[in-house]
Amino acid sequence: MPQYAALIWNADLEPSDPAFAEMMPGYNAFGHEAEAVIRGGAALYHNATATTVRVTGGKGGEVVTTDGPYADTKEALTGFYLIEAADLDEAVGWAAKIPAAWDGGCIEVRPIIEFPG
Amino acid sequence: MTSPEDAVERVVREEFPRILATLVRVTGDVGLAEDSVQEAVVRALTTWPRDGVPDEPRAWLTTVARRCAVDRIRREAHRDGKEAEAVWLLDSDPEPPPDSVVRDDLLRLVFTCCHPTLSPEAQVALSLRTLCGLTTAEVARALLVPEATAAKRLTRAKQKIAAAHIPYRVPSDAELPDRLAGVLATVYLVFNEGYAPSSGDAAVRQDLVDEAIRLGRLLLDLMPDEPGVIGLLALMLLLDCRRAARVAPDGSAVRLADQVRHRWDPAEARQGVALVAEGVRRTPERADPYVVQAAIAGCHALAPSYAETDWDAVIAWYDVLLGVRDSPSARLGRASAVAERDGAAAGLAEVDDIAGLEHHAWWHGARAELLHRLGRDDEAGIERAAAERLGLNAGALASLDSSLAAPPR
Repeated sequence: MPQYAALIWNADLEPSDPAFAEMMPGYNAFGHEAEAVIRGGAALYHNATATTVRVTGGKGGEVVTTDGPYADTKEALTGFYLIEAADLDEAVGWAAKIPAAWDGGCIEVRPIIEFPG
Repeated sequence: MTSPEDAVERVVREEFPRILATLVRVTGDVGLAEDSVQEAVVRALTTWPRDGVPDEPRAWLTTVARRCAVDRIRREAHRDGKEAEAVWLLDSDPEPPPDSVVRDDLLRLVFTCCHPTLSPEAQVALSLRTLCGLTTAEVARALLVPEATAAKRLTRAKQKIAAAHIPYRVPSDAELPDRLAGVLATVYLVFNEGYAPSSGDAAVRQDLVDEAIRLGRLLLDLMPDEPGVIGLLALMLLLDCRRAARVAPDGSAVRLADQVRHRWDPAEARQGVALVAEGVRRTPERADPYVVQAAIAGCHALAPSYAETDWDAVIAWYDVLLGVRDSPSARLGRASAVAERDGAAAGLAEVDDIAGLEHHAWWHGARAELLHRLGRDDEAGIERAAAERLGLNAGALASLDSSLAAPPR
């Protein structure tokens, strides 16, 4: 069965933000409803906690870190679900039930590459 | 006596979508199916001139394409060092499928090519390639893009279909209205790009119009009971029947009022009007926007001359249209009809009431013409300049200029 990453792009909230707590029941409800198809996922801390890592001069070279996310967009990648679905229609159907889809954000659905073996 | 090459070309043109649809079902892979059908066509080009055209060319091509698909899967499996699992392709379902199965395959392919998760550009390119059977080079010419661009667009679309598992099936009854609306919008997009090109210098691109009508006929064949399908084909036929009268010898567009109506194609018009009647009969509860737009075009097709147009009927149909699908262009159409029935001042008042069109060239074009008819030529000139600045296409601009140069009607 194909798997999809449902990437959640949404307002970049700190966990201490009251809006963050307000958001949780919706995600808990989704977690219950989609329990049978969720294969994994995580909620991410806000952009300010991100570190972007690069290595210059090839493998083992100098590690260069920058403070912040790779893409500094208006909406942040705030989490993701790994979802199993028969096809894209079904995956889109699940994505449409994730609160960010109607709460001012959006869900980016990406098929997962299945490596053999 | 047609040559075998011509026979191949004709069969391929007519049968390609059906053969492809069958191969997509059998292989589950649009790209593999397309490559295999292409290979079968190449073989036909070498063997038919030598051995003659087979009795059932579609069955021949389907069988050969299926074998090519098996070979391709075997080669791939061999390269990956795995045992081929392709044998079932040969064993299962070896007879060419009956027509009813092919129809269902083709219907599934229509909904895959026009899946809402594909961009409109991708849907158009895929439809032209797979449903009209155009080659990649022909798709590129149709879309006025370099061949490499068309090839890339097609490849990306097919990759997405495969990787993201865009389904190959007819939507459920609940989803069908929305999904069908998407299919119709894609076909109408192809038609409009031909009927009123947004780019290029030609006033009409008949090749695209013809492909859109082919797609419309294909959809009607597959879904004969859907009012939207009936209405869209009716609309396209009723607009296309003006073909010979729409473009002046110098290539400029001729306005409806000035078209020589005996040059309209009477057979196409009759067919369109009959479809409108059928569409209206099937939508007693709620009008279908395509049927209604076709009805408006039908009013023109039935009028012996522009002066004898039944403007009451045209305006009434516009009111129905605004009831089911309000849009600025429908309002502008109604305003133009009001100008004909009640005079330019009444028409201009209605044009001015349409909000939010200041950035549309054709809104300014319509104002320019009505102001000219009211003798307000200074203002008409300003509006004409605005229309040009906002990119009114060359053909429409030339026809606007000729009406501004003529004495006010």
